[in-house]
Amino acid sequence: MNIEEKLSVLNYKTDPTYAHITVKPDLCEVCPDHFCTFACPASCYKLIDGKLNFKYEDCVECGTCFVACSHGSVNWTNPKGGQGIKYKLG
Amino acid sequence: MSEFDAIVVGAGPAGASAASRMASSGLNVLLVERGDPPGSKNVSGGILWGQELSKLYPDWEKSAPLERFISNKVTGFLTDDSYIGIDFRTKKFEKEKTGYSVLRTKLDGWLAKKAKDAGSTVITGITVDGLAWNDKRVVGIKQGNDIITSDLVVLAEGANPRIAIGEGLRPPIGDHDVAIGIKQVVKLSEQVINERFNLRNGAGMAAEFSLGFLKNGVKAGGFLYTNKDTISAGVVIDIAGLRKDNSTYSFNIMDQFVSHPYIAPYLEGGQLQEYSAHLVCEGGIDYVPKLYGNGYMITGDSAGLSFSNGMVIQGMNYAIASGIAAADTAIRCKNSGSYDLDQIAYYDNLMKDSQAIKDMKNFRGISKVTWSPMVHEFIPKFAESVLNGMFYETGEPKKHLMEIALGSLKETGYDRKKLIIEGFRLMRKM
Amino acid sequence: MVLEIVVMVKQVPDSQEVVIDPVTMNLNRSMTRNVTNRADENALEAALQIKDKVPANITIVSMGPPQAETTMIECLARGADRAVLVSDRAFGGADTYPTGLTVASAISKLDHFDIIIAGEESSDSSTGHVGPGVAEFLGIDQITYCSKIEFSDGRVTAERELEDGTEVVQCPTPVLVTMLLGSNFPRMQTLRRKIDATKKGIEVWNLEKLGLQPEWVGVRGSPTIVRRMQSIKERERAKKPVTLEAIPDMVKELYEKNILKVK
Repeated sequence: MNIEEKLSVLNYKTDPTYAHITVKPDLCEVCPDHFCTFACPASCYKLIDGKLNFKYEDCVECGTCFVACSHGSVNWTNPKGGQGIKYKLG
Repeated sequence: MSEFDAIVVGAGPAGASAASRMASSGLNVLLVERGDPPGSKNVSGGILWGQELSKLYPDWEKSAPLERFISNKVTGFLTDDSYIGIDFRTKKFEKEKTGYSVLRTKLDGWLAKKAKDAGSTVITGITVDGLAWNDKRVVGIKQGNDIITSDLVVLAEGANPRIAIGEGLRPPIGDHDVAIGIKQVVKLSEQVINERFNLRNGAGMAAEFSLGFLKNGVKAGGFLYTNKDTISAGVVIDIAGLRKDNSTYSFNIMDQFVSHPYIAPYLEGGQLQEYSAHLVCEGGIDYVPKLYGNGYMITGDSAGLSFSNGMVIQGMNYAIASGIAAADTAIRCKNSGSYDLDQIAYYDNLMKDSQAIKDMKNFRGISKVTWSPMVHEFIPKFAESVLNGMFYETGEPKKHLMEIALGSLKETGYDRKKLIIEGFRLMRKM
Repeated sequence: MVLEIVVMVKQVPDSQEVVIDPVTMNLNRSMTRNVTNRADENALEAALQIKDKVPANITIVSMGPPQAETTMIECLARGADRAVLVSDRAFGGADTYPTGLTVASAISKLDHFDIIIAGEESSDSSTGHVGPGVAEFLGIDQITYCSKIEFSDGRVTAERELEDGTEVVQCPTPVLVTMLLGSNFPRMQTLRRKIDATKKGIEVWNLEKLGLQPEWVGVRGSPTIVRRMQSIKERERAKKPVTLEAIPDMVKELYEKNILKVK
């Protein structure tokens, strides 16, 4: 099973009006390591044609990227109440 | 006049325990949880040891949603080709049940219900934005345009404490403070799990492995816990090693673990029910911030109260202990009519005498050992080589163990001086 | 004058977690968590948007078991003013006919109403009957499947999404409107409102309060019964890689299997 298939079993209540994590594209563009792409367990950070692509919709709210990014590009907040990942087992 | 005696942010083991204890002593308590229902943001990466919970609910073993009691512990190493493990089972574990596997949506739901039954106002599905301050004192919480006031705020936000960091109550998180936890829960029938792990009568297994098959300094531990009719399989990844390598995907380590030739058979045929990730506090006592201040206390994972020495992992139990201590402090404040800083400092005193802080002090720097190349590279390779030497029948005359060991030592190519230093450290710290 | 708006809501099993009990052939609700029906959240938001502009009172009416209280509290925390849960063992097992009757009689017990707003349908049974049924029982006009509604000068103006365009309908109150799923972004609950709602609680009305006969409601009052329900097993996919080169062979295979026909 690849990571996309694994994520597909999860239940999210996606908030289309609010991205709880944002990145600063100008910082990501010159980033030498893009460690976020390796660290994020939900593969929300991807390099596509050398450019960082981030999607908050698959985020499982672990906080890894906030620690992983050593360049201060990741702004991390909790989704608004009841939105985001909804584990049924935990 | 505040609206509440205390507001608790986060309904995990720490927060729900604090709220329940305060409310049952007659305090007017608000418990706010962003997950809806409680537990839906949380991931259990370990075993619930019940010493603390029994202080709150003496009959917890009868009513809490527990999966299996832990009757056997496995500690082991995995290399590319081998599984080396100690499988410890003893009657003692079966007679005196102390640890249980749990799933957090069930457990946290139960804990929140207990807090509600004790008289707390429990609000779920609301994210608290920050703290309300007045003259350098926390006087409540902020949500949207509203401020809800209280004499005390108990922060129990978990391992990714946005408010505590955002309000400057604790430093941000560094590579050595946390590890990346990833888990898969796989569905199998109760009977199949019993057969595969040689278990019966509600007994369960907790296994932890050092993943010696990882390359380039990437380090991770793996775990398997049996639940009633699911198995939790997961990895805990060292961030510093992963960063240095910068070419290994965290989710691929999870995959490598569950497809290891001697792990995969345990999970075979099981249907993936959930994939999850969560930070795991690993920083030990040095990561624990100041636990209190004017108008607030920090508990559980938010305060880095978690412990692992490679053999025992403690998190939820410490969280509950800190929740109880915070509650007892709040009750004392309420009774004395004073919420001054020196009254809140009582929490720090309670914690200093607690098992949690004592363990963590005792094992200061343990993560340097548990995340050492010795544990993650040398021991797995060395053990594999020695065991091969002992058990692999070549038809040649048998060698003495010492001879095999020295040969294996050479084979690992590990620097002897480094080995002696790290070995000494290992024995001392563990 | 304060506009009286009634919003009909239903608590449903989270559609992402629904399973069918293999023994009883009913939806197994014990395995899943309950949430507010999404389209009903859109109905409430439509009501709140009217209330943003004109003085209005929003009353939530729902029929369901006592645990539906969580949904009602949620609605109050979003901005509704009052919540009435119609709950009684006698209502259990109702199909859409007695459900419409029960909800309509609850609404008629309110002092006054101008606009009733409901979701287009519930995600657990997907009939879309109850909203229109309520309008019929109450003998008022209805505008269904709306994407947008506005209120001014005693009239409701609604936009209905049709296959080939949008229809704008105007209707004087009292009127019942059903809102499309996803027709707006429901606003968030606030902590302040949720605390107040949790402390205040909701009103629960039973059969006696509604003055209905037991044989009119619940399973006894239902003209339909569910004979059979079954889960559809997903077929194992062949997992053939789709490449440009493989397309001709795939077309050929579909043709040979008589799935694709050439005129």
